[in-house]
Formats: sequence, structure tokens, C-alpha cells
Amino acid sequence: MSVVAERLKWNSASLLWRWSPLALISLIALVIPWIVSPLWIRISTEILMWAGLAQSWNIIGGYTGYLCFGHGAFFGLGAYVTGIAMIHLGWPFGFGLLISGILAGLLAAVIGYPTLRLRGAYFAIATWAFGEMIRQIATILEITGGAFGMQLPAFLNLPYFYYVTLLITVIVYLTTYLLLERARFGYKLLAIREHEEAAEMVGIDTVTIKIKAFALSAFFPGILGGVYAYWVTYIHPDSVLGAQITDFMVVMAFLGGIGSLWGPFLGAFVVQLINRYLWLVWGEGTFYLIIIGAAICAVVLFIPNGIIGLMEARIFSPREALKQLRRIVKW
Amino acid sequence: MELFLQTLIDGLLIGGLIIVVGIGFSLCFGVMHIVDFAVGEWVMVGAYIGYVFVRYLGHDPMIYLPIIFVIFCACGWIIYPLIYRAVSGKRHNPVLMGLVFTFGLSILAKGGALSIWGYHIQSITTWLSGKSILLGVATVPALRFSGFIFGILVTVLFMVFLYRTRFGITIRATAQDREMANLLGANVRNVGSFVYSLYAGITGMAGVLIGALFSIHAAMGAKYCTLAFFVVVLAGMGYVPGVIIAALILGLLQSFVGVYIGGRFNLVALFLVMYVVLLITPKGILRKGI
Repeated sequence: MSVVAERLKWNSASLLWRWSPLALISLIALVIPWIVSPLWIRISTEILMWAGLAQSWNIIGGYTGYLCFGHGAFFGLGAYVTGIAMIHLGWPFGFGLLISGILAGLLAAVIGYPTLRLRGAYFAIATWAFGEMIRQIATILEITGGAFGMQLPAFLNLPYFYYVTLLITVIVYLTTYLLLERARFGYKLLAIREHEEAAEMVGIDTVTIKIKAFALSAFFPGILGGVYAYWVTYIHPDSVLGAQITDFMVVMAFLGGIGSLWGPFLGAFVVQLINRYLWLVWGEGTFYLIIIGAAICAVVLFIPNGIIGLMEARIFSPREALKQLRRIVKW
Repeated sequence: MELFLQTLIDGLLIGGLIIVVGIGFSLCFGVMHIVDFAVGEWVMVGAYIGYVFVRYLGHDPMIYLPIIFVIFCACGWIIYPLIYRAVSGKRHNPVLMGLVFTFGLSILAKGGALSIWGYHIQSITTWLSGKSILLGVATVPALRFSGFIFGILVTVLFMVFLYRTRFGITIRATAQDREMANLLGANVRNVGSFVYSLYAGITGMAGVLIGALFSIHAAMGAKYCTLAFFVVVLAGMGYVPGVIIAALILGLLQSFVGVYIGGRFNLVALFLVMYVVLLITPKGILRKGI
């Protein structure tokens, strides 16, 4: 009897330990618009948006092991589709978002169909070229406003956009948790990442699963792009389809740790804070590109498992840190 | 008809230069299974180095080609150990790690060029600029023609090296079966180092010519990156002889789309072709890729 009671107590303690940080984070996330200045509401919204984007990239890049270098295209597509739906068709914002997400997912399925059947390198190349092509199309077309961009109806309400972004990002993380961490679908993806031939051998329909994962990972950037477009009210090809969108997604996911639930969030938090800090200190510049590039190289060379990997290796205890550091620096 | 011939010759001439960009890239993938995202950035940096030489030392950029080749070989030699580290060891997926690493390198190079030279568009002038040659029915700029000649020359030398020398045979053996080549006494790591620096040197040299032909700016890398990718997809990944045909087809496609449909649709047309090729013959038009 006492053993059971002990056990129950221990379990509830561990549960508390496990969920309390999450509860704390949620609480902070909910009250942020009430306690900080508009600048910091903007920055928090950006952090949340990037956390969602990095996680959606992580679905195909981290869990499935197929690197997509054109994910920014889905973001930009969502932004433009929402803009067109609101201006030219007069649809409400929410409906535009849904259409954006669905279109992005469909397009991903179409692109993925030939490229996902091949090795990862082909997929990376094809998606990269696809991203470039989408940007060029946006500059050619009339309906997107060409290189001059597109002006959406202004709705200046920072807390509103903060909560919308929060909601969508929470949905992204919940989907990842329920579908990829706790369901057969996620295990199938992991099997594909670890050994595709073996996965196929045990009866996984790899092509269909990969296309589904790709469509899922494109759906959320489409929606987030729509939110971003309505939020900043002015979009043009370089701002929503530029290569830097994909660059940031990749560097955030990699820095945080790919193939993990909280990695992209940590990565987005760290990278966006540093980015905004540099921006506040130096103003607009191109130097941040050097830092991003060097950061990607350094992460790949020294901490391929990201911050999450470091935490799992208990690097934050000094003795272990020294041991790990010695092991890492030795070439 | 005259326009058609002009376009045809133009396309072939551009294709000749694209071969140079694609060939090292293809070999790089064949030997080391590294997809180098920084290929366009090698071209861009090559063009800028050529520009710096011409600006501060004077003379014609053509005479600097050998020096630039040596400089870029050295760069490749220095960078290769890092790439080797990125793709080896206990990694989940070495190919993808290599991809991400070179992706980082390309952002680094782009950011560096933007920080140093800014957004201004530069150009290199040579003694050939502005002159033109009458080729049969069409008049072609002399510079473009010399770029084509350079491309053919480099390709022939490269092929002779790859197929007629002992070290070339070692490289091809490594590409075919890494472990077996290693067992038979090839120093695989050295081969990789050599191939990477050769690739960097050739691509950097091509960059100088491209810089002289077109304009130089920090974002030009993306275009040549796309072209190199299309060439290897068309040729079949890692199949070096296919690069020649694929690059010529690509040059023709580019110039015909540019003349008859409009230069803005270039990338769209290229992407459609690549999509169809991947759909029908994923191993390249010659079905020899890996």
C-alpha cells in the first residue's frame, strides 16, 4: 500500500516537474501583450512566427530527413494568396488563411511527387529551384503587383496578430507532438529517415508517407505567411519570397536541434533575439548574413544535434561540459 | 531565320561556358557525394577576385586566369577538411550534413561579398569587350566566343585528365566504389581533397569569364547555382560526360526562351523542364546518373 502511495506521489511529482515549465511558458505567452512595450510585442510575435516556421521545416527536414531548401516559397505563397483573396476576391481573413494553407499543401504534394521518389539530394535541389521559380513568378504576374508588391488593407492591432500567431504556432507544435511524436505516422517518418530501404521492406508505403509529410510541412508556412502579410500590410517578392526566409528556417531548426519537438522553438528564440538585437544596435545591414552562414557551418561541424543535443548530453553541468568540449575540439 | 540562327549560336556559346560550371560540380558529387550549394558563390567570388585584380593591378583579366586558378585551388584545399568533417563521423545523414554545410558556406560568401562591395553592380572590361566576330551568318561578341573556346578547352583538358592519366583513373575508381578503391590502395581522402580543389579552381576561373561577359553583383551566385543544378539533373547526377550535352541543351533552352518568350520566363521554363525530366527519367536524359 505504501509502495503504491509512494509511487503515486513520485509520479505526480515528476508530472508536475514535467508540465510546470510548459505551464509557465504558456502563462507568460498569454500575458505578454499586456505587460511589454509594442516593440517587444512585435519581437515576440516574430519569435512565435519563426518558431512555427522552423517547426514546419523540421517536419520534413528533421523528422523525415529530406532537406527542403525552398520552404520560403510556401510562406510567400501563403502571403500572396491571402492578399489576393482579401483584396481581389473580398474574402474574410480567416478563409483566406485556410485557402493559403491548402494551396501550399497541394503545391507541395505536386512538387514532391516526382522529387520525393529520389534521393535526398535531388529533393534539395528541386525544392531550391522551385523556391527561386516562385519568386520569379511573383515578380512577373500582374495580380501580385510584380516587383512593387502588394498593399493589404491595414489592420493595426498588435495584440490581435500576437494571439493569432500564438494560436497557429501552438497548433503547429500540438500537431507535431500528436502526429509525429505519439502516432504511427511519426514512427514511419523516423523509419524512413533512418533507413529508407528497410522501411520500405517492412511494408511502409514510403512515397505516400513522404508526400503527406511534405504537404503537412507546407500547410503551416502557408497559413503563417498569410498572417504575416495581413500583419505587415505590405508585401513584395523580396520580403516574403526572398532566400533569407528559408535560410532562417534552416538555421533555426539546426541550431535548436533537428528532429526534436522543442529544438526549433529554442533555435527560433535564440536566433531571432540575436537578430533583433543586432538590428537594434547596428541598424539595417548585410553583416547578419555572415553571422548566419558562420553559425550554420559551426553548428554542422561542432554540434550537429543542436542545443537540444547539448542538453541531452548534460553539457550544462560543468564537469560534463569540459569532457564534451575536449572530445569535440579534438579533430 | 537569321534570328533563329543567331539564337542557336548564342545558346551554344552560353552552353560552352555552363559546361565549366557544371563539370566540376558533377565530379564533386560523383566522387564525394557532396552536393555543393556554394557552386554559384565560387563563380561570384571568382568574378569579384577578377574585378579586384583588374581594378588594382590593371592589365587584362585573361592573364590572371592561371593565378586565379591557383588561388581557388588553395581555397578548396583549405575548405575541404571542413567538409570532410561535416560529412563523416557519427552523423545521422552525411549527405544532408554536407548539403547544409555548403549551404552555410554560400550564405557566408554572399554576406561577405555584400558587406565588402555592397549592392553596386560592377563589371570587368577586357581588350575583347565590344569587338565581335562574324561566324557564318551570325555576328557574335568576341568575348562570348572566347568564353566558349575557354569552356571547350577546359572541358577537353579535364576529360583527358580524367580518362587518360593514372590519377584520373584513381578518381573514377573512387567515384565508382569508394571502399574498393580504398582497399586497392587509393588514398580516398586525398582524392577528395584534390577533386574539391580542382573543382573550386575551375569554377573560380569560369567566374572571371562570366564576370567579364555579364555583370558582377553579390546575388549572381543564385543564377549559376540554379544552372549547375539543372545541368547535373539533366545529365544524371555524378555522370560527368553527360554534363557536356546537358549544358549545351540548357544554353539553347535559355537563349530560345529569352528570345522567343521573354527573359523573365527563363527560370520558369528551366524548372518545368527539370520537373518533367525528374518525372520521366530521374537518372538524367542519358539514364546514367546515380
